[in-house]
Amino acid sequence: MDFGSVLNALILGVSIASIWLIAALGLTIIYGAAGVINMAHGALIMLGAYSSYMLQHYVGVPYLLCIPASFVIVAIIGLILERGLIQYLYDRPLDTLLATYGVSLVLVQGVRLIFGSDPKYLAVPEIFSSNISLGFANISTFRVVVIAVTALLVLALWILFYKTRFGIQVRAVMQNKEMAASFGINSSRIYMMTFALGAGLAGVAGSLFGVLNIVLPTMGDSYVVQAFLMVVAGGGTLAGTVIASGFTGELQSVFAFITNDTFARFVIFLLIVVFLRFRPQGLFAKGGVRR
Amino acid sequence: MNTKTSAKGVGTDSETTMGNPYHNKTAQWIAYALFFLALAAIPFSVDDDFLLNQLATYGVYGMLALSISLCWGFGGILNLGQGIAFGLGAYGMAMTMQMQTQTAENPIPPIMLNNGLDYLPFLWWPFQNTVSGLIFAVGIPTLFCAVFGRIMFKARVSGAFFAIMTLAMLSAFYTIILDQQAYTGGVNGITPPSPLQLGSFQIDPYSPAAYWTVFFALLIATVIAKLITQSSFGLVTQAIRDDAERVRFLGYSVSSYETTIYTISGLIAAVAGCLWVMVVQYVSPAQLDVGLSISMVIWAAIGGRMSLLWAIIGAFLIQGGQSYLGDAFLSTWLLILGGFFIVVVRFLPNGLASLVEAGLGMLASKPKETSFREPSGVKPVPSE
Repeated sequence: MDFGSVLNALILGVSIASIWLIAALGLTIIYGAAGVINMAHGALIMLGAYSSYMLQHYVGVPYLLCIPASFVIVAIIGLILERGLIQYLYDRPLDTLLATYGVSLVLVQGVRLIFGSDPKYLAVPEIFSSNISLGFANISTFRVVVIAVTALLVLALWILFYKTRFGIQVRAVMQNKEMAASFGINSSRIYMMTFALGAGLAGVAGSLFGVLNIVLPTMGDSYVVQAFLMVVAGGGTLAGTVIASGFTGELQSVFAFITNDTFARFVIFLLIVVFLRFRPQGLFAKGGVRR
Repeated sequence: MNTKTSAKGVGTDSETTMGNPYHNKTAQWIAYALFFLALAAIPFSVDDDFLLNQLATYGVYGMLALSISLCWGFGGILNLGQGIAFGLGAYGMAMTMQMQTQTAENPIPPIMLNNGLDYLPFLWWPFQNTVSGLIFAVGIPTLFCAVFGRIMFKARVSGAFFAIMTLAMLSAFYTIILDQQAYTGGVNGITPPSPLQLGSFQIDPYSPAAYWTVFFALLIATVIAKLITQSSFGLVTQAIRDDAERVRFLGYSVSSYETTIYTISGLIAAVAGCLWVMVVQYVSPAQLDVGLSISMVIWAAIGGRMSLLWAIIGAFLIQGGQSYLGDAFLSTWLLILGGFFIVVVRFLPNGLASLVEAGLGMLASKPKETSFREPSGVKPVPSE
């Protein structure tokens, strides 16, 4: 257990954290703003991967352009979903959870019918498939790309939520929907936009996960629970999710270094449940009247 | 004492206002009796052992839907991790049945030998004896629910939050069972080589005996659950579902009620887990899969979570549909199920039961409509 391998584990931790975080970003937006437990998030991640695959395979779009394109495609799907179903269920949070699970069943099975259950692969530019060596630590270039994209997205979201008019409106609706409405903010439209935004972020995550793993109809399922834990542990705020993901990523890497990957996941899940026992509101509880 | 009288008041109130037989207690008990009589008639008319075995597994699913209905429909606690109690119960039973086939000269089950373990791990000790094995198989999951429920409800974790916590625990258990291959058989699980032996009596899964065991377990669980919902305890639980804060201000310990109903529901699921292994002679981490636990909620939701009987029927309908329509529609079955589920959640939050409720209500009110208009000073409080 020398210094180099510990450092390596810590750097790998950053990479794991970025994966946890990017999977949870869209959920944070949707849960934080609208209080919707979106069980279809995994299916939206999967759709992001499949849209990238389709664009790349049938249209020949270069991979780096597939990422924003997936954002747009999945955001549109999210928009349709919100208008067609979610908007009727905002005052029934448990029912949104169930309805979105139904949506995820339909989406996963629909994709399986169209594309089959055999794995698809996303091709990436040559430079991404190499390794970066920092002397003491080794990390694949693509993982660095994931970290970079995640950091960019967090920055963009921060600017969007704290520096723009739209962000102020979203936060106003988050804190008190009725009061915001009385100031002329169309809360229904805000919910619609945030849902589409959250879905789009799932699309980006999917186009990245499609490279890290293989593209399968069920690929999103495993991310849903862990993404929720990040959101819940973070308290539904952007900063909370970032910090919760950072911590758990590092912890998982360290535990995996000591024991093995599966056991590390078990310990993490258990620790989060214990943590939430003592701090049910999460790391940073948001102000406001919801809940 | 005070709780008793107030509970009585509410009960009689809704009883005298009926007109809709759906809300009539006597009518409800008659419906339950007819349902179980129909189930009891099945072994006499079915000669196919395979079919009987399949129907027994439906009975187990019915028990699971019942447990969800009790916890979610009546307690307002959405539990997406019922697979924990079900799975742990199933593993306990499988371990018991496995140990029954181990002899003195061959005391170590093959899953351990195959994984390089040449002694019986301490985790397996209680299951060497059938009686203690069964006690542990039901007791451990129940204890888990009591402890976990107490921890969560004391911290006032509720609603969707609790649902996610149960989901997290379920994933944690799934992961650890998958990981600890030498103790649990890993992804392959445990396949006990012979049926459950109770004393000198062997319960062959493909015999009416297995069906009757499941039948009586379902019957007893349903009657107990129904009695619970009609007791004053059940009424307080339902009040917590509707407005936990108000009940807390009335001086009730909300977390104790929540923990109790959650634990009872877990106990039923644990028994269902035991019966499931008795019927299929097999257990694997798939019993703790997130999908299965959410399916249990779907059964109860489509049937009608506010009605124990309809939750059971929901499980029968969907699992039956899966077996029979699933073959015909093959890959589109999940599509149909998902779509159906969305429609039910969106338009029929109380499931198919609410159709029956509305239908019976119309039948009952039609002839009396003119005369019943005025004197309805005893209208029940509208439920939200």
